[in-house]
Amino acid sequence: MKTRYLLTATFSLLLAALPAAAQTPDASAAQNHGVASNWKQIAIPPLPPFHPAEPRKLVLPNGLTIFLTENHELPLISGAATVRGGGDSESAEKTGLVDLYGSTWRTGGTEKLTGDQLDDFLEARAAKVETSGGDAHTSISFHCLKADFDGVFTIFADLLRHPAFREEKLALAKKQMYSSISRRNDESADIADTQEDILGYGKDSAYAAEPEYATVAAVTREDLLAWHKQHVAPNNIILGIVGDFDAKQMESTLRKAFADWPKGEPVAQPKVAISPARPGIYLVDKPDVNQSDVRLISLGIDRHSPDYSAVQVMNEIFGGGFSSRLFGNLRTKQGLAYSVYGHVGSQWDHQGLTVLGIATKSETTVEAIKGLWEQLDLMKKEPPSELEMQRARDSILNSFIFNIDTPSKVLREQQTYAFYGYPSDYLEEERAGIEKVTADDVLRVANKYLHREELKVLVVGNAEVFGKQLAALGPVENVDITIPAPDAPLKKPQPSGASTKSEAQPSGSTPEGLALLAKAFEGFGGKDAVMDVKLLRLRFKMNQGSVDIPVLRVLAYPDREVMLMHTPQNDLRQVVTPSLAFLTVDKRSTDLPSSVHQSELEGLKRDFLNVLQHSGNEGYTFRAAGKETVSGRETTILEISAGGIPVRWWLTANGELAQEEFTEVDPTGPVKTSIRYEGYKNFGKLRLPTSYLMHNHDGDTLMHLEEAEVNPTIDMKVFEREPAAAAK
Amino acid sequence: MRRFCACLSILLLSCVLQASAQDLASFEKRVHVRTLPNGLTVLLLQRPEAPVFSFFTVVDAGDAQDPLGKTGLAHMMEHMAFKGTENIGTTNYSAEKAALAKVEQAYAAYDRENIRTNGRDEKKVAELEAAWKAARADADQYVIQNEFGELIERNGGLEMNASTGFDSTQYYYSLPANRLELWAYLESERFLHPVMREFYKERDVVMEERRMRIDSSPTGRLVEQFLSIAFDGSPYHRPSIGYTADLKHFSATDAANFFQTYYVPSNMVIALVGDLDPDKTFAVVDRYFGRIPAGPKPEEYITAQTPQTAERTVTLYDPSQPFYLEGYQVPRYRDKDDAVYHVISSVMSAGRTSRLYRSLVRDRKIAMTAAGFSGLPGNKLRNLYAFYAVPAKGHTAQEMASAIHEEIEKIKKDGVTEDELKMVKTRSKAALLRSLDNNQGLAINLAQNQLKYGDWRELFRDIDKIDAVTNEDIKRVAAATFVESNRTVGIIETKSAKGGK
Repeated sequence: MKTRYLLTATFSLLLAALPAAAQTPDASAAQNHGVASNWKQIAIPPLPPFHPAEPRKLVLPNGLTIFLTENHELPLISGAATVRGGGDSESAEKTGLVDLYGSTWRTGGTEKLTGDQLDDFLEARAAKVETSGGDAHTSISFHCLKADFDGVFTIFADLLRHPAFREEKLALAKKQMYSSISRRNDESADIADTQEDILGYGKDSAYAAEPEYATVAAVTREDLLAWHKQHVAPNNIILGIVGDFDAKQMESTLRKAFADWPKGEPVAQPKVAISPARPGIYLVDKPDVNQSDVRLISLGIDRHSPDYSAVQVMNEIFGGGFSSRLFGNLRTKQGLAYSVYGHVGSQWDHQGLTVLGIATKSETTVEAIKGLWEQLDLMKKEPPSELEMQRARDSILNSFIFNIDTPSKVLREQQTYAFYGYPSDYLEEERAGIEKVTADDVLRVANKYLHREELKVLVVGNAEVFGKQLAALGPVENVDITIPAPDAPLKKPQPSGASTKSEAQPSGSTPEGLALLAKAFEGFGGKDAVMDVKLLRLRFKMNQGSVDIPVLRVLAYPDREVMLMHTPQNDLRQVVTPSLAFLTVDKRSTDLPSSVHQSELEGLKRDFLNVLQHSGNEGYTFRAAGKETVSGRETTILEISAGGIPVRWWLTANGELAQEEFTEVDPTGPVKTSIRYEGYKNFGKLRLPTSYLMHNHDGDTLMHLEEAEVNPTIDMKVFEREPAAAAK
Repeated sequence: MRRFCACLSILLLSCVLQASAQDLASFEKRVHVRTLPNGLTVLLLQRPEAPVFSFFTVVDAGDAQDPLGKTGLAHMMEHMAFKGTENIGTTNYSAEKAALAKVEQAYAAYDRENIRTNGRDEKKVAELEAAWKAARADADQYVIQNEFGELIERNGGLEMNASTGFDSTQYYYSLPANRLELWAYLESERFLHPVMREFYKERDVVMEERRMRIDSSPTGRLVEQFLSIAFDGSPYHRPSIGYTADLKHFSATDAANFFQTYYVPSNMVIALVGDLDPDKTFAVVDRYFGRIPAGPKPEEYITAQTPQTAERTVTLYDPSQPFYLEGYQVPRYRDKDDAVYHVISSVMSAGRTSRLYRSLVRDRKIAMTAAGFSGLPGNKLRNLYAFYAVPAKGHTAQEMASAIHEEIEKIKKDGVTEDELKMVKTRSKAALLRSLDNNQGLAINLAQNQLKYGDWRELFRDIDKIDAVTNEDIKRVAAATFVESNRTVGIIETKSAKGGK
C-alpha cells in the first residue's frame, strides 16, 4: 500500500516538476492566430497531469517478487522473469557458459516437451517464450495473444522450473558460438568493443571475458543443469507481467503456479576483479579498412555514486547529442567523423567504462585523437557556460516523461530497481539530482573522472597509413587479436575477487608461498590450535575519538558472524550468515543490501583463521611476493587467493601476521583497506594479535582485543533475527 | 457465478482479434487525414495513453532520384535538413546568404578545374581551393552551430533521427505533448527555409559515414558490388550513400536544387500520433505548414530495369569469414503477387519453425543464420528477393547455395503445408496487432502506407491480402521467380590479408 502511494506521489511530482519554458501561456494566446517567426515566441503550456499505471507489487512466501501492470489497450500479454546471476560470475575456464545456458534453456525444451515441440506450439500461435543469458542475470520472457495465455504461460512456468537442456541443443548452441568466435575479427567495431572491455577492466576480469573455442568446449550439460539448480529459485527471481488481464486473477494464477516452489540458496552478487591495463597506446592493425575506430578508455563510475547526476549533466555537455562539444567540434566543425561520442560510463552494479570514441579516416587518426584530448582538457579547465548547463538540464529533464510513457516502461523500471536494490522512487531521486547540478559540480566531476594520463588509447585501423604519426605520440603496443586455436591451452583461471592491482593475479601456489603458509600457522599458535577453532568470542574496545566503544564479536566458522556494539547513542547488532544479513538498531532490524551482505560474507572468508582453516581447499593459492618492512619489522608478503577472494599478508620471521591488505567493493567503488596487527598474546593454545589498526580512505580505526574465548558455549539463537540479547 | 464468468471469458477470448482497440473500424474513428491546400498530406491518430507524441515525415524521393554524377545527393540533403533555416542557426541571415553565395561561386570555380581530366593545372587547383576555403570560413562566422538539433533536444526530443533509402527519405522524433506548436514551427521551417550552411564539412561527415558502412565493412563491400551487377538500368545498381567520386564533386547548389524539385508538399506525408486534440492540432498544422508553397509533383520517370536473362556472380576475396547472398528480380511492391512473397518469406525465414532454420541451422548445422526476404535494396522499383546465409565455422558459401536451392525447389514443387500457411496468417495478424502499441511505430506505418498506397488503411488490408494467398499462388510465383537465369550471386571467400587463399 505504501509503495503504491509512493509511486503515485512520485510520478505526480515528477511531472509537475517538468520545467516549463520561460514564456507564459498568455504569450501563446497572443500567437494563436499567427505564426511564430522565432522559436522564442512559442509558449510551452504546462504538461497535463499524468499518472501512469503503477505496477502492483507482491512477494510470494517463497520470495518470488512479482510486478503486475494491467494494460487493456490491446489483447496482448507479455512477461519477463529476471534471475540473479549471469556471465559476471561464470568461471574463466568456462567463459560462454551463461550464453550457452541462455540459448539451451529454451531450445533444450522441458522435461515434457522438446524444444522443437515448443517451437511448433508457440509459433502456430504467434507466441514467444525466449530465454537469454546476461552479465548480471539470466532471463526468460513470454509474449502472446491474451487468448493463448493459459497455454503459453504453462510452457513459460514449466521451462522456468523443469527445463531439460537436451544434449543435442547444447551441441547446436556450441557450434553457433564457435562460428561467432571465428567471425569476431571481421568488423573494426567488434574488435574495438572487445578490446575496450579488455583494456578498461583488465584481460582477466570477468567483465572482459571473451569465450574461446576451448572455454566453450569445456561446458557440459551438467554445468547447465547445475547453473539452473543453483540460480533459478523463487527468491532469486523478479517477475513482471504487463497486458490485458485482471491483476487479481493473474495474482491467483501466479500464486497457484508457484506456491509449491521451494526457496533456494540466495544468489549473491559476485565480486569481479578489475585490473585495468596500463595507460598507453594500443594498436590493432587492420589493413583492409580506410577508417580507424579510436577509443580512449578508463574506468567510469558505479551508478550508486553520489556523483551520478553531475556526471549525467557533464556527459550531456561533453558528448551527448547534437549540441555536445564533441559532436560540434569534431563532427560539425572539423568534419572528422560521422560517429563521435564520449561519456563517463556507469553500470547499475559496478563501475562502467569511460569511453571517448571516434571513427575517422585513416589519414586523420592522430588528428582525431588530439582533438579528443583537447576537448577533454577543455572540459576540465573551466566550468561550462550557463547556456550549456541550461541546455543539458533541459534535455535530460524535458525528456524524462519518456521514461514512463508506456506501462511496459514503468514496469521495466520497477523491475530493474528491485533487481539492483534501488529505491522504487529512484527515478524521482534522479530527476531531483539533475536539477541540483551546478556548473561547478560539472567541473568537479570532470576533474575527478577525466584523466588524460589514465587513458588507454585504442586504435583499430590501417597502421600503414598512420603508424608513424601514432608512434610520435608515444610507445605503441601492438595487440595480438589472433583467435586461439581450439586446442590451445586454456588461460589460467582468474580469481574472481576484486583487486585494483594492475599486475597479473596469482594463478597458483608457489613452494615459497606454501612455506610461508606453514609459518603463518605457527604464528597463530600452531596448526592444531587453529584447526580446533569452531567458535570464537572476541571482546574489543574500539577507540573512536575520545570514547571507547565496547564491541563483542562472535565468529562461528566458517560463515557466520554476529557483532554487538554499545555506543552512547544506540545498541547495535549486526548478523551475517549465508542466508541472513541484518542490522538491529535499538531492536529495529533492517536487512542489509545484498551487495553489503555479499561483501560481509567475503570479509568472513578472508578472516585469517578462516583462510588458514581452508588453506588446503581447492581454489586457495599462496604465493610469496617479496619482502617489506612493516612497523620496523622485516616481513615477507604472501599473496593469497581464498577461493577467489584476494588478500595480501605481511608475515614476520616467526609467522606473525603483521599486516593484511584487501580491496572491498562498496557502492562508491573499490576501497583498499589495510589492517596492522601487533601485540600477539596466547589465549589458550591460540595466539592472536591484541591491537588492530584498520586503515582506509575513511581514516583509521584502532581496536584493542581484551578477551578471547575459543569454542565458548553460546546460544546459537544469536544468529537468528530474534531475540536480541542472547549473546550475553 | 464463477462458472458463468468462466464461460463468458472464454467467449470474449475467442473473438479477441475482433475486439475494440485494434481493428480498422476503430482506427477509422481515430485517424484523421487532411490534405492542405498546398498538397501536403497530414495524418493524425489520437492516442492519449501518455502526454507525448511522435511524428514521421516521409518524402517521396530518395537516392533513386539522385542525378547522374551526383549519387548520394538525396542522403546529403537529409543531413542538410538538420543544419537549420533562415531563422534558426544563424546570427545574421542576410549577411550569411551573401557569404554562402560566394562559397558556391568559389566552389564551382575550384570544382571545374579540379575535375578536368586533361590539362589540369595543379597550382590553379590549389589557389582555387584556398579561395573556396576562405569563402567558407567567412560564411561560417554567422553560424550558430547545430541550433536546430539542439532546440529539439532541449525540448525533450527523443530519438531524433532521419534516414534515406533509394525509395524515400524520412524524418522523425518524439516530444512531450505540450511542444506541439514548437514542433510545427521547427518541422515547417525545416522544409520552408532550409539553408545549405556548412555543406562541405557535412560532406566530409558523409564520406566518413561511407567509410564506416561500406569501405571498412566486409558485408558493406559485398552488398555494394552485388547490387552493382544485379541491376543495370535501374538506379538500384548504385550505392545509395554515393560513390566517393561523386561525394567529392556535388555542391550545395546541387542539394538546394534537389530540395526544390522533390521536397514539395504534394510529395510529402506527415503522420502524428499521440496525445493530440485533432482540432487544435490541425489548426496549428494549417498555420505553420500552410506556409510552404505548393510545387509541381516531380517527374516520375526512372530508367526501368530490364528483366534479367542470365545468372550473374560476384566473388569478393576478403580477409573476413565467408558469406553467401543471392537475389532474384521481382516486381515492385504494387504487384498483385506482393503478398505471396511475404508468405514465402515467412515460411522460409520466420522463427525456429522456418524451413531455412530447420534445414541449414538445426539439422545440417552448416549455417549460423539463413533467411529470405524481398525488397532489396528498395521496393518502389523492380527489386530483389534475396536469400542469405552466414556459414557456420568450417562451411563454405557454396554449401549455402546448394542447401538454399534445395529448399527453394521444394517450394516450387509442393508449395507450403496447410499448417504453415495457417501459421503465416496468424502471425501476420498478431504482428499487425503488436505494431499498434507505440506512437513512433504507428506514425511510421500510417505515413508509409499513405505515401505508398495513397491510403493508410492499407496497413490493415495487408492481412486480407495475405489471407487470400493460396498454395497454388505460392507454387506459381516461386516457379516463375526462383530460376537460375533470374539470379545474382554474391560471395565472400576468405583470403588472408597477406595474400593467398
